[in-house]
Amino acid sequence: MSKLLDLLTQNADELAGGLWVTCRLVAGAFAIALVVGTFVAALRIAPSKWLRRLGGIYVETLRNLPLLVLLFISFAGLRRAGVPIGPWTAGIASLGLYTAAYVAEVLRSGVFSVSKGQVEASLSLGFSYAQTLRRIVLPQAFRTVLSPLGSVTIAMIKNSAIVGVSLLALPDLLKEVRIIAARTFETTEAFFWAAVGYLLLTGAATVVFRLLERKFAIRR
Amino acid sequence: MKTMRWRWLTVLVAALALGACGEEKKSATATATTAAPAAAARQFAAGTTMAKLQKEKKITIGVKFDVPPFGFKNPNTGDVEGFDIDIAKAIADELGVTPKYIEALSDNRIQFLKDGTADLILSTMTINAERDQEIDFSEPYFIAKGRILVKNDSGIKGVADLAGKKVCTALGSTYEETLKKQAPKAKLTLVDSYSECLESIQNGSVDAVSTDDVILTGMIIQDDTLKLVGDVLTTEPYGAGIKQGDKEFKAFVDEVIAKFKSDGRWAASYKKWIGQYTKEDQKPPTMTLKEALALSK
Amino acid sequence: MGYLFDPDNWEWLVTGNRARFLFEGFLVNVQIALIAMVFALVVGLGLSLARLSRNRVVRTVTGVWIDVWRNLPLIFVILYLALALPETWRDAYENAAPEFLPDALRTGRVFAALLALVLYNSAVLAEIMRAGILSLDRGQGEAATALGMSYWQRMRLVILPQGLRRMVPATVSQLITLNKDTTLVSIIAIEEVMRHGRVVTGVNFFGGVQAPVLQVFIFIGLMFLATNLALSRLSRRLEVRERRRSGTTVKPISGAEDQLAVAQVDPGRSS
Repeated sequence: MSKLLDLLTQNADELAGGLWVTCRLVAGAFAIALVVGTFVAALRIAPSKWLRRLGGIYVETLRNLPLLVLLFISFAGLRRAGVPIGPWTAGIASLGLYTAAYVAEVLRSGVFSVSKGQVEASLSLGFSYAQTLRRIVLPQAFRTVLSPLGSVTIAMIKNSAIVGVSLLALPDLLKEVRIIAARTFETTEAFFWAAVGYLLLTGAATVVFRLLERKFAIRR
Repeated sequence: MKTMRWRWLTVLVAALALGACGEEKKSATATATTAAPAAAARQFAAGTTMAKLQKEKKITIGVKFDVPPFGFKNPNTGDVEGFDIDIAKAIADELGVTPKYIEALSDNRIQFLKDGTADLILSTMTINAERDQEIDFSEPYFIAKGRILVKNDSGIKGVADLAGKKVCTALGSTYEETLKKQAPKAKLTLVDSYSECLESIQNGSVDAVSTDDVILTGMIIQDDTLKLVGDVLTTEPYGAGIKQGDKEFKAFVDEVIAKFKSDGRWAASYKKWIGQYTKEDQKPPTMTLKEALALSK
Repeated sequence: MGYLFDPDNWEWLVTGNRARFLFEGFLVNVQIALIAMVFALVVGLGLSLARLSRNRVVRTVTGVWIDVWRNLPLIFVILYLALALPETWRDAYENAAPEFLPDALRTGRVFAALLALVLYNSAVLAEIMRAGILSLDRGQGEAATALGMSYWQRMRLVILPQGLRRMVPATVSQLITLNKDTTLVSIIAIEEVMRHGRVVTGVNFFGGVQAPVLQVFIFIGLMFLATNLALSRLSRRLEVRERRRSGTTVKPISGAEDQLAVAQVDPGRSS
């Protein structure tokens, strides 16, 4: 037990630094995932068949490609092609774009969860299409997507560890822990603190989304 | 419509079958070539590691798969080759068993010995006091020097110029500490294997790579836009890693390495893997394990 | 774009043995995925039943077990097991691994990888299956009890066939995730497609045509795209056939990674 605590106090700076890198990575990727995800979801419910198909291709490609492959393509691959992309940009963009595919699917199914009858009723009451979307569909969709969005976020936090082990070599929590483990030979103790770090992050995301769900829940 | 859907699957299954056949063929030839030297087997006392390995008819050796010219996988044949592999073969031949190679990364190879995943480690591993606490080393079989590799046009001339630059080295290698001491302002990029360092310096995401000169020479052989700069940072005697406390096996490995050095095989191997590219000659090292360990203190 | 499609940059595909070398690596991924899928499904089902057990202790312990494994990054579990798995376990695997498996799959490290994949995915699948079972109308179970069925009869004849059928899309999308995640085992130096990709692109010691990183990894990506699309097609086929056969409508669930799938089926998830 004291060995565990010693490891924490002796390497507190590195562990905190790693956690901070993971947090920044996750925050940046989350922002990209939300923006791009919303855009792709809009494509997928657009009135034009070609736009819908475009959105579909995005989702199918990004969802069926391993993140590690995506990281190789977006960093080493692009750099070799003459694009001077940095590890942070490549990491945040890859994780964000990858997650965006899942976000898009969540948002799309959220919109579809609002029954067609409501839309028809709203239109027949004289609301415009945009008004219907904004006043009737989106508020209800938002409520249904919160929980799956939370799950996507948690998956993204976990996937952020892949960025650190890839060629990008960002010093995230897992990387710092591996460096400590390689130096001290105390593998289990070092990995224990990584587990704590990741469970803290995923736990925090769970709590935040549950609070949001409660706040926006319909009281019956 | 129905056939359309199934065509996907048919293609996939056919492709799988094809690949599987290819695999079998390859492994068949691999065993055929390596099984040859089993004839002149030496006898060892029961209970020793040597006797155990002879009984199992194989020795598992942790080597590098991506560090030419010491240990790396040839994509054309699928075999592992290099200087470390030559020594590994010498040891396996002496036992009369088949060598089985597994990839040893800088941060897991000590673990491999401790948990028995590997019987022996020959992976450009520097002898140092810290590792000696965890495992045993053979006598040094190669003396490498720590150097810095940069692009020809980088303007970096030595360790002093590394301040603020990104320097790549392997996670768990001795260079992490060396660089922290000698170039405290350099930004370290720690990766799993040296091939990642090569890729990183080639694609420009790091400015320099620091590790053993022979590994860096291997990179220059592959890419002549890279060069070595600056003074020697450290002396890195390579030793074979042996499980802590296995005295008989260490004596055996030392004996084979001594023979390898003295009967001309060392020089031939050196010429094949390093000398023919650098046009330099080198004699087998005479440094002892004690001296090697004293270096790191 | 010119760089991407320049024929010189694709020449490696036809020279030497490189495409074949990559494909052989990919087969290792497929095999790891298949083995992990089978075990993850079986263990996942067991866990989901334990999670729904009538015994409070079993229920709570399984719940904690599931929550811990599915909330840790898979790569973390892989790395840790690769470093910390006891020697005896590896030995046992190496001795027990059947001969017909390729060498790459018979090392103790693969066992660490498989164990990690199964631990993580069985936890996720257990949640998916639990949600599937819970999504059934309570009346179903009650009716079965009223008919005098035992717990196991009820599960085997009434609950599971319906509950699991509902979970096919979510399960398949988790299996696709599993298939993608096999690339992560490259980190612990298992000779699979990512490692082969790095050998092909990184090492040019023996001369020959240089294989560019971008093109090689796009090629690897395409292999995954093809298998995963085939997998999701297969699931859609199953779903359509099932719907026709049973005459019921299964709420289609598309696009889900791990718990997302659960949440969609069971929005009011309580754990």
